[in-house]
Amino acid sequence: MPGVLASRRVETTCRAYNPLVRFLVVAISLLLPTLVTGQPLAITAPAAPGGGWDQTARAMQRVLAQIEPGVSVQVDNVPGAAGTIGLARFIQSERGNPGALMVTGLVMVSGVIMNGSPVSLADTTPIARLIGEYEVIVVPASSPFRSLNDLLEAFKKNPGSVSWGGGSAGGTDDLLVRLLAEQIGLPASSVNYIAFSGGGAALAAVLGGQLSAAVSGYAEFAGQIAAGELRVLAISSALRVSGIDAPTLRESGIALDLANWRAIVAPPGLSAAEQEALTARITRVATSAEWRAALAQNGWDDQFLTGPALKQFLLAEQSRIEDVLRRLSATNSASPTRLALTLTPSSLPNAIAICFAGVWILTMMSLAGATLPVRFQGLRMTGAIIGALLILPVVFVSLGFVASSTLLFAIAATTLRARPFSVRSVAADLIVGAAFSLALFLLFTRGLGVALPGFP
Amino acid sequence: MGDLLAGFAVALTPENLMWGLAGTTLGTAVGVLPGIGPALTVALLLPVTYGLDPTAALIMFAGIYYGAMYGGSTTSILLNTPGESSTIVTALDGHQMARNGRAGAALATAAIGSFVAGTLATLALSVTAPLMVKLALAFGSAEYFALMVLAFVMVTTMLGDSRLKGWLSLLLGLTLGFVGIDGLSGHARFTFGIPYLLDGIDPVIVAIGLFAIGETLWVASRGPAIDELLPVRGSLLMTADEWSRSWKPWLRGTAIGFPLGALPAGGAELPTLMSYAIEKRLARRPEEFGRGAIEAVAGPEAANNASAAGTLVPLLTLGLPTSATAAVLLAAFQQFGLQPGPLLFEHESALVWGVIASLYVGNAMLLVLNLPLVGLWVKLLSIPRPWLYGGILVVASLGAYSVHRSAGDLLLMAAIGVVGFLLRAIGAPIAPVMIGLILGPAAEQHLRRALAISQGDWTVFATQPLSAALLLVSAAIASWGIVSARMKK
Repeated sequence: MPGVLASRRVETTCRAYNPLVRFLVVAISLLLPTLVTGQPLAITAPAAPGGGWDQTARAMQRVLAQIEPGVSVQVDNVPGAAGTIGLARFIQSERGNPGALMVTGLVMVSGVIMNGSPVSLADTTPIARLIGEYEVIVVPASSPFRSLNDLLEAFKKNPGSVSWGGGSAGGTDDLLVRLLAEQIGLPASSVNYIAFSGGGAALAAVLGGQLSAAVSGYAEFAGQIAAGELRVLAISSALRVSGIDAPTLRESGIALDLANWRAIVAPPGLSAAEQEALTARITRVATSAEWRAALAQNGWDDQFLTGPALKQFLLAEQSRIEDVLRRLSATNSASPTRLALTLTPSSLPNAIAICFAGVWILTMMSLAGATLPVRFQGLRMTGAIIGALLILPVVFVSLGFVASSTLLFAIAATTLRARPFSVRSVAADLIVGAAFSLALFLLFTRGLGVALPGFP
Repeated sequence: MGDLLAGFAVALTPENLMWGLAGTTLGTAVGVLPGIGPALTVALLLPVTYGLDPTAALIMFAGIYYGAMYGGSTTSILLNTPGESSTIVTALDGHQMARNGRAGAALATAAIGSFVAGTLATLALSVTAPLMVKLALAFGSAEYFALMVLAFVMVTTMLGDSRLKGWLSLLLGLTLGFVGIDGLSGHARFTFGIPYLLDGIDPVIVAIGLFAIGETLWVASRGPAIDELLPVRGSLLMTADEWSRSWKPWLRGTAIGFPLGALPAGGAELPTLMSYAIEKRLARRPEEFGRGAIEAVAGPEAANNASAAGTLVPLLTLGLPTSATAAVLLAAFQQFGLQPGPLLFEHESALVWGVIASLYVGNAMLLVLNLPLVGLWVKLLSIPRPWLYGGILVVASLGAYSVHRSAGDLLLMAAIGVVGFLLRAIGAPIAPVMIGLILGPAAEQHLRRALAISQGDWTVFATQPLSAALLLVSAAIASWGIVSARMKK
């Protein structure tokens, strides 16, 4: 295990220093992330910190720091809407930039379809598929279902009685159960799938016995499986995975395998040479001992794939997911669901919105005769500040943080001043605003490594 | 106990103390800075701590987490700009206290309350973790929904003087809460085809808009006679009366925050809201709430810190992250090849107890670190008011932008700010908007999830003993409220 050897080496070198020196060295390296030089690389993780895409991006960042010392690699989190917000921004603002990469995966393929995103993975330049995580189907140790067949028997007899839990709607967990249902001859819409914010949240519900079965990546359940609190009924790999004592779906006679794969893509508009250079760079990462150590640590399966084979793979995944989602939405709207009493996604929101409108009208009626608790002496001042705030987003992006904040500060301060404004007071407001904005800017970008639009 | 003592032996080594100090200092700083939360900070630090000893790194991360809980109240109180959703409630009365000249007392009660709650909740964490897990797992969607109903019944006391306007605010918040992709079905709701709205409306942006922007616009509309400074009255720290009004809310906040934080669908919003509602019910002068009642700062701040400790229960014992920070902490554990879960306490006893012991130490450090800062922070208020409000606008927009690094959030912040101004203009309360926005979607999700599991059988809420009990308590509180209101007339 070269990774272990490497970390031993770090440990022994560190032991040579006393704790204070060691502390200071690491602390300084934490505070000055901008001192490193070299060809910078920015990896977009289109999700919040902590999720799978973020972990993949940060693992790459770590490995790059080890195999290309001195190179600045930044991870940007752009969370939202199954990664489609990050995707849209990546395609728009990084076009033609050979120093930009984005982590993506299976969930983005379905996210693009479900959210009706105008851009898709086809608009990016695929570089490499890196890893995959297989899904497992688990039941609590006390469950009557001993095998996948037990579970599927009950499922076939009364689909609604088996509640499946996993991550968000349209995610890998959801897709696996829908594909599984279609494989055994049930419509995808017959699945009683309960979406949670993630496999971890579903874990509590399945341990507490509220769900019949839970579906998610193996890593999410590994602790409980090892402790004997959960039983694995099946794993979604094509072949058995060493170290995981679970039959594949194919062993149970179901021709289905699904991996929650993650890949790395570059923006559109790169030259062939730039694409090749990036592919070579990522290949160096993916074949390094450090990367293999990261895979082992996270329980990720190495699924490295580049070139034409990757393009083919992406097309195949796209059509398989599109198909099941299309059938799902078609049957969902056609058949009156057997959960007729259950609230639909829109029933509560519409009821609440109607109530809001009603109360709003009542309030307005009650205000008609009454005197308001304000005398609008300063409506012009309020208007000026509102105006400044409304143009702020545009100015913020085009002029950068420091200039736009200086303007906002000066407009607000000048407006709020009691005395009629003079050249001197406006100048003072501008100087104070600029100093304050610049200090904040340096603190956030240099001290904390948070990217802000800088200067035009 | 032996385990905990061994843990102290780990936490009190000079090197680990230094990492603890570094973490708590950094945590306080990121807590004070708007838009930068502990989750982002820990994520940024993950790659650079790779070569570090796992115990040292985790002690630092835990320090950042606790420190951010302390620092978060500062901008809420001084600038009316909550940086994280956990300190939204603190802004309600904390900023009013600052306007009344009691910013020092508000900051002090927040810091000391955080210390008391943090220490007691850590104690609870070391003693009751296995028990809490059993309780937490008994909570299914039906139980969560019943808990949300209880919360709703309790927080309707926060609707303000005019019931009609209170409902207006609450319904506005509820409606805003439904915007975005429905987590259960994947349907987009109230998004009008705008991709930006798919992810819903972030409560932090709404809070910044309603409080910081709305307040500034309101101040501007009152005319330009505002060159005077915000007053600082009386002693910088708390008076004897403020002490006696604070200690009970601290304890009650802890008692609410820890168990609710330990629930797998936890978070700091529900416990802080419930603490506020309970304090208002129990207060001798409930009419002071909303105008700067110290109980309304002491209780929620304690609940906030206690829930942070509670969050560690499912994280350490189940490997279950219930907040963004906990999710990053989980990634940190995994980075070092550790899998939080039922076997962690057995396999890595020294590490786990070392981290738990460091929380006690960190809490003491944070108190020592934060109390002297109170004087410094209060000086901020002596800035001339045109500059203070200019600064508030800049800090608010920086905070709103940093949450998702999206310029669209700035537009949303401005729009919500105008809404906040209009609500103030018609005399409607602000707090119910936040309540509806935070509690509404959670309650709806649990309601529908429970019904999906029961296949549309509504009796599930009455047949599950825990859920039935919670609903009975809610009904009792609601009817008691109606009866006592009649009696007063």
